[in-house]
Amino acid sequence: MRKPSASRRAPQPKPKKANPAKAPRIHPVIIYPFKQSADYSDLQALYELVNRLDRDKKRYARPITVMDRKTHFSMTEDAAFHDFRQNTVAKCSDILDAWCVDTCQMWYSGLGAAFEKGSPDDVYWLIPGDFNYGSPVGQEVLGDIHDLPEIIMELDQDLCIGEIATDHSNPKHLIDTYGTFALLYNWFPAEAQEIRQFTEQPRSEFFAVRHSFLREALAQRWYAYEQTVVLLLQAILGGKRISRFFVGHISDLPEGRESLAAAMQQVERTERVLKSAWRERNHSRSGWIEQYRALENQSGQVRRAAITILQHLLG
Amino acid sequence: MSSFAYQKPLRAITFICAAPQAQSVSLVGDFNNWNPAAHPMKQTPDRSWLLTVELKHGHHRYAFLVDGALTLDPRAQGITRNDKGERVSLVPVS
Repeated sequence: MRKPSASRRAPQPKPKKANPAKAPRIHPVIIYPFKQSADYSDLQALYELVNRLDRDKKRYARPITVMDRKTHFSMTEDAAFHDFRQNTVAKCSDILDAWCVDTCQMWYSGLGAAFEKGSPDDVYWLIPGDFNYGSPVGQEVLGDIHDLPEIIMELDQDLCIGEIATDHSNPKHLIDTYGTFALLYNWFPAEAQEIRQFTEQPRSEFFAVRHSFLREALAQRWYAYEQTVVLLLQAILGGKRISRFFVGHISDLPEGRESLAAAMQQVERTERVLKSAWRERNHSRSGWIEQYRALENQSGQVRRAAITILQHLLG
Repeated sequence: MSSFAYQKPLRAITFICAAPQAQSVSLVGDFNNWNPAAHPMKQTPDRSWLLTVELKHGHHRYAFLVDGALTLDPRAQGITRNDKGERVSLVPVS
C-alpha cells in the first residue's frame, strides 16, 4: 500500500564522504581542421583514438574538440559533415564552437576551456586534427602520441613537445629554419640556443603541458598566434622542465599546407609576437627603447631575408 | 593507449652506442640511479657498444658515459634533463 505523502520521509542528505585526493587526469584537446577534407578517413582514425580516450574516464577528462565557426558555416549544406560532427565528434568529445582568427586561437580557446575544468596535477594534451592519421604511419603516430602527456606525469615535466619527421623542403621546416629561429636568435639569442637544444620544431602543434605552467601561459599571453614559440620562450625564461619526444613520420594534410602567402604571414606573426614578448620583458629597464630600436632594425632585415628565401623555395 | 592497457612488468631494451675509439662505455639512467658501474656496455666486432637491459613500463631517462663523458643517444626517441639539469635521452617502454 502506498503511504500518504505526509508520512513520507524526506530524503536524507547522504553523509559526505571525505574527498580523496583526485588522481591526476589528462585533458585531450583536439583542434578540428580549419578546412574540411572531403575524405573523412584521417579524421575517422583520429576519432577512434578520441573515443578510446573518452572511455578511459579514470585517466582522461572528457576530450574537447575545438571547431572554428567558419569551418562550421562553410559546411552548412554538407550532410556528411553534419553526420560526422553529430555521430562521431560529438559522441566522444565536447565540441567547443569558437570564432578564431587562426589555429593558435583555437588552441587558446580549447586549452583555456580544459584548464577551467582541470585540477593542479592535471596535464593538457593538444592534438592537431589536420594530419594523415588514416595512413599506416598515421596509425603508428596515434599509437604513440599518448607518450607526450605521460612524459609530463611520469617525469614531472612542465612541457613536452612532440616532433614529427619532416624533410628539408617541407614548408614548416623552411619557415622554422629561415624565419622562426632566425628571428628568435635576434630577439632572444640565449633562449633560442636553449630551445634549439630541445627541438628543431619550435612551432610544433603536438605538445602536452602541466596545469601550473598552462595557468602561467594562459595569463601571460598577449597574442593568440605562434603559441608554441611563446610557450617555449616562457618555459626557458621561467626555468621550466622541457622534454622533446619524436612522435613519428606523419605529415599534414594538403588542405592545411602553407602557400608562400601563408608562410610570409607566419614569419610576420612570429616577428610581432617576439617583439611584444621582448618589450614585455625589458620595458622596465632604462635605455630599453634604444636597444629595442636596434633589434627591431635587425629584425626587419632578418624578416626580409627570410621572406626572400621562402619566395625562392615556395613561390 | 597500449601503455595503459597492457602493464607489462619488464621489457628487454637494447641500447647501442657508436663510439669506436672509446675505452669504456656504460649505460646510466634513472633505472640504475645514474651509477656508472651498474651497466657497463660491451664492444661488438664492429666496435660499437651494446647492452640489453630489462626495463619497467614507462618513460626512462638515460645517457651513455663514454670514457666518463655524459653523451646523448642520437637514436633516442626523446630528450629531457636529469636531476642535475644535464641533457639526457628518453626511452619509452610499453
